[in-house]
Amino acid sequence: MVGLPYDCLANPLGAVRLTFEKAVASGSDPAALDGKDWGAAELFRQFLFDDGGLSQVPMLNPSTINWVQPNTLVRFRGMIQDMLGNEYYVGAYKDGDTWRTNKFADASTCPMDASSDMRIWERRLLYCVPVPGQSSWVEPSHEAMKSPYTNSVSPQREKRHREDDTNMIDIDMDSEHDLEDSPNSKKLKIGTEQNSSNLSMVPAIGRNSLPCLVKIYDSLESDLKLNDVFEFVGIFTFDPDVTVDRDDNDELIDSFCEDVSVHLPPTKVPRLHCVAHRKLVVDDFLSSPILEFNPCAVKELREAVLGHLTAVLGNDRVAAQYVLLHLLSRVHARIDSIAVGKLSLNLTCLNKESMSVFGNHLKVAMENLLPFTQHLPLTLDYLNTVSLAPKKDYSTNRLVSGFLQLAEGSHLTIDETPLQAGTLNSNGVENARVLKNLMQSQKVEYDFTYYKMEMAADVQLLVLSEGKSNLLPADLVLPFRPSSVGSTFGVDEEMLKAWRLYLATMKLLPHSIESHVQKVIEDDLVAARQADRSLGSEEFSRWLTMGRLMSVSFGETCLSVEHWQMVKELEGLRKERLLGNM
Amino acid sequence: MASDSSPANTHEGPSSPDDWATSPIGNTFSSPGDPRRPRRGRRSGYATPTPPPLPSDSRFATPDATPTPSASNSRRGRGRGRRLSSTPTAATPTSTDDAPPSSEAGDMDEDQSPPMYVWGTNISVQDVNAAILRFLRNFRENAQQIEGKYMRAINHVIEMEGDSLDVDAQDVFDYDSDLYTKMVRYPLEVLAIFDIVLMDMVSRINPLFEKHIQARIFNLKSSTSMRNLNPSDVEKMVSLKGMIIRCSSIIPEIREAVFRCLVCGYYSDPIVVDRGRINEPTICGKQECLSRNSMTLVHNRCRFADKQVVRLQEMPDDIPEGGTPHTVSLLMHDRLVDSGKPGDRVEVTGIYRAMSVRIGQTQRTVKSIFKTYIDCLHIKKTDKSRMHVEDLMETENRANWHDNESTPAYEDKVEQLKELSKQPDIYERLTKSLAPNIWELDDVKKGLLCQLFGGNALKLPSGASFRGDINILLVGDPGTSKSQLLQYIHKLSPRGIYTSGRGSSAVGLTAYVAKDPETGETVLESGALVLSDRGICCIDEFDKMSDNARSMLHEVMEQQTVSIAKAGIIASLNARTSVLACANPVGSRYNPRLSVIENIHLAPTLLSRFDLIYLILDKADEQTDRRLAKHIVALHFEDTDISQQDVIDLPTLTAYISYARKNIHPQLSDEAAEELTRGYVEMRRRGNFPGSGKKVITATPRQIESLIRLSEALARIRFSEVVEKGDVIEAFRLLEVAMQQSATDHSTGTIDMDLITTGVSASERMRRENLVSTTRSIIMEKMQLGGPSTRLLELLEEVKKQSPAAEIHLHDLRNALATLSTEGFVVVHGDSVKRV
Repeated sequence: MVGLPYDCLANPLGAVRLTFEKAVASGSDPAALDGKDWGAAELFRQFLFDDGGLSQVPMLNPSTINWVQPNTLVRFRGMIQDMLGNEYYVGAYKDGDTWRTNKFADASTCPMDASSDMRIWERRLLYCVPVPGQSSWVEPSHEAMKSPYTNSVSPQREKRHREDDTNMIDIDMDSEHDLEDSPNSKKLKIGTEQNSSNLSMVPAIGRNSLPCLVKIYDSLESDLKLNDVFEFVGIFTFDPDVTVDRDDNDELIDSFCEDVSVHLPPTKVPRLHCVAHRKLVVDDFLSSPILEFNPCAVKELREAVLGHLTAVLGNDRVAAQYVLLHLLSRVHARIDSIAVGKLSLNLTCLNKESMSVFGNHLKVAMENLLPFTQHLPLTLDYLNTVSLAPKKDYSTNRLVSGFLQLAEGSHLTIDETPLQAGTLNSNGVENARVLKNLMQSQKVEYDFTYYKMEMAADVQLLVLSEGKSNLLPADLVLPFRPSSVGSTFGVDEEMLKAWRLYLATMKLLPHSIESHVQKVIEDDLVAARQADRSLGSEEFSRWLTMGRLMSVSFGETCLSVEHWQMVKELEGLRKERLLGNM
Repeated sequence: MASDSSPANTHEGPSSPDDWATSPIGNTFSSPGDPRRPRRGRRSGYATPTPPPLPSDSRFATPDATPTPSASNSRRGRGRGRRLSSTPTAATPTSTDDAPPSSEAGDMDEDQSPPMYVWGTNISVQDVNAAILRFLRNFRENAQQIEGKYMRAINHVIEMEGDSLDVDAQDVFDYDSDLYTKMVRYPLEVLAIFDIVLMDMVSRINPLFEKHIQARIFNLKSSTSMRNLNPSDVEKMVSLKGMIIRCSSIIPEIREAVFRCLVCGYYSDPIVVDRGRINEPTICGKQECLSRNSMTLVHNRCRFADKQVVRLQEMPDDIPEGGTPHTVSLLMHDRLVDSGKPGDRVEVTGIYRAMSVRIGQTQRTVKSIFKTYIDCLHIKKTDKSRMHVEDLMETENRANWHDNESTPAYEDKVEQLKELSKQPDIYERLTKSLAPNIWELDDVKKGLLCQLFGGNALKLPSGASFRGDINILLVGDPGTSKSQLLQYIHKLSPRGIYTSGRGSSAVGLTAYVAKDPETGETVLESGALVLSDRGICCIDEFDKMSDNARSMLHEVMEQQTVSIAKAGIIASLNARTSVLACANPVGSRYNPRLSVIENIHLAPTLLSRFDLIYLILDKADEQTDRRLAKHIVALHFEDTDISQQDVIDLPTLTAYISYARKNIHPQLSDEAAEELTRGYVEMRRRGNFPGSGKKVITATPRQIESLIRLSEALARIRFSEVVEKGDVIEAFRLLEVAMQQSATDHSTGTIDMDLITTGVSASERMRRENLVSTTRSIIMEKMQLGGPSTRLLELLEEVKKQSPAAEIHLHDLRNALATLSTEGFVVVHGDSVKRV
């Protein structure tokens, strides 16, 4: 810490302050700055991405929150669950004759003097939660996440370190603030103790997950969208001491302050003042480096994954093939109301008994293979009571997350077998409608009371049911024919890693078609329709999606006649089963 | 603490200080500190720095209910000196730095009296005062008016004992753009002066007028989007559109308190709210009593004012993709309280304010965060969902259109639309633009287009009314994209409601009486049809609907009302809706052996209420299949870029339709009327085909009404005020095509499947027509009337010889012969053809 005038990691605010002072000294007028960046973002960008500082930044999660220091840099990975609008804060103010800034900080570091000159800037507030249904392997293992602090083993040294830290801040800050700072670290300890009990009170969030209020500076509105998965790097503040005055019953105040501080008290939800953010793709969750696939290796991998799925599905290879295609599907285009590329699958002929075996196996397999999976056992009671679609609660001005608020590319297994005959109430009907809508158009209607807003989704849907599900019309219906009790044992971690990588990479492959293949397909479709008038655009669309996925599963970017034939064969097998089932 | 308003008050007018009771300034001053600025400026002309505290129950105390320590600081500081008195609100100083209007410097020089400035700016109070006075006195909408618009308005307000004067900001701008700029930039100051001027004028006109009149500004030149509000807008006048999502309960706010001594019964003087607090006297004010802690509040002698906090949310249309709506708080006072309820779409004019947040009630420290809200000045309800369809009957809303029409952007748009309407192929283009993803079905789309444009509703003085709405029924085989069409229309149409026949009950469609769970009152809840008043109600799976529910439609589709007689409520609700229904034929697929009516299997009474009944039949046709295949392949592989050229985009289409519905009201020309009569007579004759044993759709007077509506809609499509002959002919064609009447065998009522032209392209149709004429000429040449019959294959050879270029198959020839046989030209028996 000697060489640098500041340490981006441990004292990012110092860096902010220093660059600000530099900018002011070099003649830029804080009044005209209007909250725009003055060079701090570039500094952090350089530190994080060019100098490889990113890996040193500790990840914020329930296990690290206990030792992460306030006012240091942390990383947070999560999905944008709600947008809380903009917040106006005192961006720059005059302390005596010098300009100071509050950017990237919660409250001003010095008591605000009423006489001081100040500028109001704005920042965006995003409420982020860990991605719903995140598989356990996605969390980076703890060894990989060791922070510079925990590296120093003895508690004494850690303490020492903290003192260092405080001292350093003291030096950087004006002398009057040191009193404020050192209690802060003490407070944190108290705060985190309360934290464990408090966290469970935050609604709609699982026990071991940690929501975070991210404050965004200098970013285009269109960059960050609802339900996007992002990694935010920012300055962590967690201020369990600031309490909202509950005695204050003035309704006026309540209605003005109803948002952030009341419903997301800083004691429960940590704050992150974001200095850099990037959108995450599935690759980022895979710890292994991206492999260069050659066709041969892909074929082998495909065979291995297929073998695994076949084993899971009790030796039903046809089903395994369909599941593989299903796992590779994604919405790659939206034309009018049609979501092109989705392939939802309905496995029928499952009853309660077989579900207890295969259902669980499937669930485990999905969790092992995919980063975000959700399992939804459908019961009447559940449909009638919960609200699947997210809903705006105007009394708290928050978007209440529903089960169907999922990140892009999530996998959702809906188990219809527990569903009994009975009456749906209006809530149940609404839920069924929302599910159906998601199946058909990959859109979820968010309920804003006075109107509904459709949000595009990209969720792979797998329905498990006894007979063909009419409630949830899937693209594909396949009677499930297991011939043995499947087993999922004997899969080692390395294999899983490769498979995950295979699925993630293949899913994102671009795809095209050559004109001669196009001609062949067109002829095929015409012939099929001439032979069977019941075939319509839905079937054709499904075949083409399957053709695309089939060739993608071989790692190819161009549809070949061979793969098209495979699809037709597969569909033939399926049709046989469907007929045999009747 | 001195009430700073008093000096201004005494200075500006002789009115009693009590006039401040309803001072509009209070309205705008919910955050303390700033409002004093103008008056401070004025005070600089005074010798006495601290005026005596006059009783003032001005509402400007409001702000103090939201205590901001900074404000009190600043107030305290003001006594000490100018430097310290600067308020912590950042925006005003910023704005002064920005651009002091240059013209003002000149004005000031001419000012004789010691100039008073709005604090921190070089805007002279006297100048603004004079400008406002000039505006109110002299503004006239046109030169002919003797009295100024606002002088009349003021007199009117006095007569009505009103308490506010609506001022159109557009007028201010037209009269004095400088004043407008000042008003928008420094609304707190300028509005305070505005109110003082108004007060002065009112007291001059009627010295006995007690109430205080506030200026309510509305119709700003530019309206801000909620998303674009930013710190530089703080303390500016803004205008926003949004939807009210939440209203707080009404908060009575104390303005003036009266205390009574419990010991001696002495009533204290009214005590004015100071910084949100009432200082309860600790000692009885009566000299003889002087008891300690004996004072108690007398509620019914206190004065209260209403206050309400309303949350406004962005309009759904303004939300960018992947975003959630923004919200903003509004602070309403007095009259504005409860002027909107949740769900209302409103346009609000007000002052954007920021208020610092205190960490705790007892703490003086301020968080570095500001809460923002809008001090509401004026609220206007707007009701513009999707596409607006009001007709002339609704005079109430007409004022709104005029507002719109005045804006240049709107005029531009109209110009564009008019330009578009002049294109010769506009009818075809619109057809193509309607659901471009569903190809073919051009005639169905044309029918739907007519439905969207609609005919003229007519109300005769006798009370009889003719609906202008066109009802359409689509009957067809599964998989013919009926549902997609429905969905598309639902999206496009105003107040479209989409229901499925299977899931809707009679009451769900019309209206039902429900009991409020809390109060036990019976209330009417509207069903789909009532909700889609002036829109299109799309009903999918019409055939699956219960007969009971379907019978409810009878009234709706002809009388356009829904009558309810239940639980003591007898009501007739408007349901001026077009119905677009789709159904599968009996037995899911069309059975060519049954007649059309038997296939549709709906009560003839209901059927006759549909203007157009489309049979969308799926006929094996290689060409359509190929097109379908091509389309789907393209959908999957040519990532997103399969948009057809020359297609009018959805917003333009919507604007085009709504403009036409609003402004074009075509009348029948004589020529068109004649054509209509002629065509109708012919239709009836055809319907009475002798010897028709089965049910055949016959022409009824209803159909002539349909034809009028259709031709009106067709004229509207062209933005034409006159229905021409061509429109009528096209209307007849649509009607005919709809029922596949050209393919119907009138003697049996069945459809000859081979004659169906649905999905056949124009070129294909042409080819077939050519074939028919070729065949006809060959038969004319080769065959004798009543002569021996010829074999089909021979005929085919002949035809092939005649037109070697075209590829002709046997079934094509059969089709052609079938056409000829319906004309009574030939008779076909198995394989042989005979001329008759």
